[in-house]
Amino acid sequence: MGDVTLEHVSKHYDDVTAVDDMNLDIDDGEFICLVGPSGCGKSTTMEMIAGLTIPSEGKVFIGDREVTNLPPKDRGVAMVFQNIALFPHMDVYDNISFGLRLRNYDKEEIERRVERAAEIVQLQGMLERMPDEMSGGQRQRVAIARAIVRNPGVFLMDEPLANLDAKLRVHMRTELQRLHKELDTTIIYVTHDQAEAMTMSDRIAVIDSGQLQQIDPPLVCYNEPSNLFVAGFIGSPSMNFLDGEVAADGFTSTNIDVEFDPADLGVEPGTDVTMGIRPEDVYLVDEESLVSNPSHRIDAVTDVLEPMGDEIFVYLKLSESAETDLEDTSGVANDQLLMSVAPDTDIAEDEDVTVVLDRSRVHLFDTATGEAISHGIETPVQTSGAPGTEAESDD
Amino acid sequence: MASETPGAGIGSDDPETKRGPLGRWVDSAIKNPDRVYRAMFYVAMLFFLVTTLFPFYWLLVLALTPNNLIANMGLVPNGFNPQVFVAMFERVPFHLYMFNSFVLGITTTVLVLLIASLAGYVFGRLRFPGKGVLMLGILAISYFPPAAFLIPLFELFTGNTAISIGMVTISTPDLFNTPAPMVFPFSALFLPLSIFILTTFYGQIPDGLEDAARVEGTTRLGALFRVIVPLSAPGVATAGVLTFISVYNEFFFSFLMNNGEADSWAPIVAGILKYQGQFDTPYNLMAAASIVGVLPVAILVIIAQERIVSGLTAGALKE
Repeated sequence: MGDVTLEHVSKHYDDVTAVDDMNLDIDDGEFICLVGPSGCGKSTTMEMIAGLTIPSEGKVFIGDREVTNLPPKDRGVAMVFQNIALFPHMDVYDNISFGLRLRNYDKEEIERRVERAAEIVQLQGMLERMPDEMSGGQRQRVAIARAIVRNPGVFLMDEPLANLDAKLRVHMRTELQRLHKELDTTIIYVTHDQAEAMTMSDRIAVIDSGQLQQIDPPLVCYNEPSNLFVAGFIGSPSMNFLDGEVAADGFTSTNIDVEFDPADLGVEPGTDVTMGIRPEDVYLVDEESLVSNPSHRIDAVTDVLEPMGDEIFVYLKLSESAETDLEDTSGVANDQLLMSVAPDTDIAEDEDVTVVLDRSRVHLFDTATGEAISHGIETPVQTSGAPGTEAESDD
Repeated sequence: MASETPGAGIGSDDPETKRGPLGRWVDSAIKNPDRVYRAMFYVAMLFFLVTTLFPFYWLLVLALTPNNLIANMGLVPNGFNPQVFVAMFERVPFHLYMFNSFVLGITTTVLVLLIASLAGYVFGRLRFPGKGVLMLGILAISYFPPAAFLIPLFELFTGNTAISIGMVTISTPDLFNTPAPMVFPFSALFLPLSIFILTTFYGQIPDGLEDAARVEGTTRLGALFRVIVPLSAPGVATAGVLTFISVYNEFFFSFLMNNGEADSWAPIVAGILKYQGQFDTPYNLMAAASIVGVLPVAILVIIAQERIVSGLTAGALKE
């Protein structure tokens, strides 16, 4: 009942394509997050599942029923909206029972169900209040109760936590996970907050410019991003990217070289590639022993430190001229590197450091297409070292 | 040079003697503009109160003065005759004319609100090409003088128009002396304003609420009448009251589309004119009838004012 399938679904507005040939297969009981930047088409995708928007092309199935052109009320879905959208002229009881009353349930049944829904979201004793007498979190819970009271096959949530303050958001996040466990219903959850997506979902569907980039469990999206966009979008702070090309003995760029055998990875020497490495996979040289498969050493100068409490983010300058360019949001910066170190690390600004990369965590992407070439290089570094690697003189 | 003249010499010694009372008043007005504004406010308010309320007072004076003493009147009644309010119902069944006016007003209002709600939903919440032009076209209808429509409408409603469809010729039904020839033109003429008001109100209801209603199980129409209309109550009330009052006060079609008898759905206007007899003109009865006729509308406005000023949507959404 609760599985949702999108087949080649597209939505075009006058001259904009909001969703482009989307294929999605969501299993019954799954918690799926649709993530992506603003305007990527994730909300449109959800509206097409809800029936609020009719796709220009393609088919939508819920359960084994085709619902492409059915109105929302006949689809067996419930939705929680970003702006909460409680009916302001009805009290909590009427808000929750709205859908049931429209379907002519008898009075006792409605009462029983509303009581039960209110119990699940812990709203007992507030059924007579008006929405404007409640706090943001309470209103959000009413909206959730309104959604669950009909026992829908599919739950759609469009950034339901976006308007709550940070503390409440984390709390509601846990509540939603508990709710999912309790109800065991398919939940499709739209968010632009990748932390929400990582923590809650069974699978994440990363969407950009109307196209599905990757749909996988959170850790797979994190560890094996299928392209540059997913790599940059999932993870905070973002992955480091360095543009370079494949040489005979591995990746080479202005400041960093990483050795590998191109034949192993199936890339032609001379191909333009982008190397990605997450901040936590960059190590100071005295922790080199922790890394099973370290790269050559790289000399750098620390720039800005961002102590977060549980870790410190260190911006490294790889060359003299390097400057942190706040304007550049592409994530590609060939002369700097972001590193995360333990909070007790003795490190200061403008200090010379030597770092190594964990080669088993290095990602390579085709610069032209953005597609991933490999995740992690397993072959050990050859002793001779590659020419041009800045850190080799130390040993 | 100028300072040598005697007048300037005196004035420079004592400003108070130089300026007259007007000068002093201007001086204080410049220093205290609030006093001037307050004075202007009272003057303007008094002016509007007199112009709007004096006719009512004069109606009351006329009504209370016995008809044989009604010439050479001052500002107070020439006598006191409250029985006029009973006599007016005895001479003409004025209550029936009032009933007709109510029926016409309410029918038109319901019709207008229903159609204007649908139109307001379309104009306020949907996007389609040609929306602006269409809206302008609808508003343009309300600028037409009703007299321009009278002859064709009269022909139409009195059964003098025939439509040929192939072999069959159907003549329009004779609706003279029924409510229809009044209700239809009223609805058409007062619709544009209501559409305009409701478009503004419905356009302001957040999309999320309509979407929520539709997901919860209503159709678009259901969402309109269960969520959008209740939340736009002030706008609906405004449109409704304005339409009702316009119809209640309407003269042109009310006078021409019936024979002026109470059982021919003639409204208040016809009722008041009905007092005009062959041998007398009872101004006192006409004035009394006018007062009684105006009362319901006055009460309606007082009640509706409170209804209109109600912020139902306050705190509806976090946005």
